[in-house]
Amino acid sequence: MCDGIAVAKSEFSIELVERCGLASVLHDRGGEAEYRFLYRDRRPRLPVWRDGRIEIVRWGNGRGESRFLPRTGWTWLTTVEEGGWRNANAVPVDIPAAVILDKGVWIRVRQGIRGLVVPDERGVAVAYVVCEPAGHYYRVMTRNDRTPVLIGEKI
Amino acid sequence: MSHEGAPACGFKADWIRDRIGGRRLALALEIAATAEGLRAALENGGAIRKACAIGEDRACVGKIACGGKIACGGKNCAAGLTCSLVHATFLFMKSVELVGHIDADCFYVSAERVRDPFLAGKPVGVLGNQGACVIAKSYEMKRAGVGTGTPIWDAVARCPDGIYLKRDFRWYEVLSRKMLEVVREWSPRVEYYSIDEFFFSAVLTRERGTFQEIAEGIRDAIQERVGVPATVGLARSRTLAKLISDSAKPFGARVVADADAERELLADRPVTEITGISGRRETRLAAWGVRTCLDLALADRRLVRSLLTATGEALWWELNGDPVRSIEPRRPSHKALSRGGSLGGAASSDPVVIHAWLVRNLERLIEELRYHQVVTGRLTVWVSYRDGRSGVGQTDLAAPTDLFDRLLDSARPCLRSAWIRGAVATRMHLIAERLIPRSSRPLGLFDPPDDRARAIADLKERVNNRIGRFALRSAATLPLNGIYADSANGYDICDVRGKMCF
Repeated sequence: MCDGIAVAKSEFSIELVERCGLASVLHDRGGEAEYRFLYRDRRPRLPVWRDGRIEIVRWGNGRGESRFLPRTGWTWLTTVEEGGWRNANAVPVDIPAAVILDKGVWIRVRQGIRGLVVPDERGVAVAYVVCEPAGHYYRVMTRNDRTPVLIGEKI
Repeated sequence: MSHEGAPACGFKADWIRDRIGGRRLALALEIAATAEGLRAALENGGAIRKACAIGEDRACVGKIACGGKIACGGKNCAAGLTCSLVHATFLFMKSVELVGHIDADCFYVSAERVRDPFLAGKPVGVLGNQGACVIAKSYEMKRAGVGTGTPIWDAVARCPDGIYLKRDFRWYEVLSRKMLEVVREWSPRVEYYSIDEFFFSAVLTRERGTFQEIAEGIRDAIQERVGVPATVGLARSRTLAKLISDSAKPFGARVVADADAERELLADRPVTEITGISGRRETRLAAWGVRTCLDLALADRRLVRSLLTATGEALWWELNGDPVRSIEPRRPSHKALSRGGSLGGAASSDPVVIHAWLVRNLERLIEELRYHQVVTGRLTVWVSYRDGRSGVGQTDLAAPTDLFDRLLDSARPCLRSAWIRGAVATRMHLIAERLIPRSSRPLGLFDPPDDRARAIADLKERVNNRIGRFALRSAATLPLNGIYADSANGYDICDVRGKMCF
């Protein structure tokens, strides 16, 4: 699974930062600033690549904002592949994560993770992190049997 | 006495005078007068030193000087050297040659940073084969209290902002061999000690400058061409050089070549910092008040030998500036080969799973036997368990072999001896000893012909070389499919060949 992600500060334009009010999620790690997006945040959000640019969208439906979407922040890859989201106008997206957080462990990812963006009944974009069963190494590392689908790599 | 012989070896009298001063000039010139002899002596420097060091007393060098034969068989005398010249050369070489030690700074983390600048300056930990323990950490993570071997859950508690990575020994080997290339450009004799450590002979030449310039030059060249920060230590012996590089980390370059400076360094360092001294040896030394490296250097040599055997005595000589352990540019033949390690998350008490690990380790061991073109006459299986117990099984083979079926037939009873019913096995090692070259293996009178088995082994090797390691493997390893599914498990630190130690 994935409890959060971090993205280097330099990845986002000033315009995006100001428009989305990202100053509150700015943190420092080793002297370098990064934006952290956590599922436990009061308003969980995720950056996604959409139409060639980064957008910040709501992460999941954990607080029940939508009556129709699943009340979670993740979806199985098999569900996506089997067409479980076909009738919801879902769009696959890349999530530009540099580091992911899983059960307290920050793990470096090279190219980001897979996600899915779906509109809720009010047309608000909602992102879900796409997951698959974790491999042996990832399971030992995080004690989690689910891993986000990483772009171009496996852990 | 002519100086004309000197240029053949790259030395000139003025240059020698500048470097080593007048005290030894006469000796140096005597040697330089016989260029051929000097060249031979330099080439055989290791042998001369060894000959001097293996003697029971230090008068050995004197014996050589007064006409005694060199213990290694008089090879150097045959090269045209008189014994007094050998003695002179020995002293001369101590003036113009030191032992260097290079140790990459937090190597695995530095290697990751070479290909991923995002990690620079951040607390980073590289996890081991099973993802359970930190095997390398950046200085930022070390400051937070995370040490090598710390379980990831403890590490996360101590350093919540730490970033963790999966190890990639293929990449680390690429950088390690690049470092080796750089060091070889600086030294005629380099020992590939481990994936991130090298010993080398540092010889004064006009082009390279002083010893300090050599140390800094190698360090900077590695940083520039490989991108990995390293620390270089130069001293009169390997043991001293290693202690010095340890003391100069990170990104240091330090030369300690005189006795006073050595003593100052040794006084500050606990004796456990010497490779090979810990646990029981530490306890034995502590009983005699030996706690620092200097205590050990100043202790009575015979006492050290009685406490730590000949290995300890060798350390004693080395600490006192007498190089006993020579630099080995080529790895000597293996006396034993072994494969195995932690079972990590696949630790189990299930006999089928434990047997699968046995087969996996055996297949890896056979790869190694075939690579080195040797067969084994003795097989040992060692298993340790979560409750602290361990078991061993050993068998001598009727005829040395490297064939899978025969080795497995021998390994199974060993595993039966090592197996403890109901206990969770956490580590396993297979050790092959009594190695002999495959070409000279003795054939048993009553052994069945092995043409078929050998053809299968050859085919298996060819398939795996072409398609990928473990593409063709025993079905007994099926319970470990999760391990095989991760390609990173197909290459381990012990698969990096040619190094002296693990």
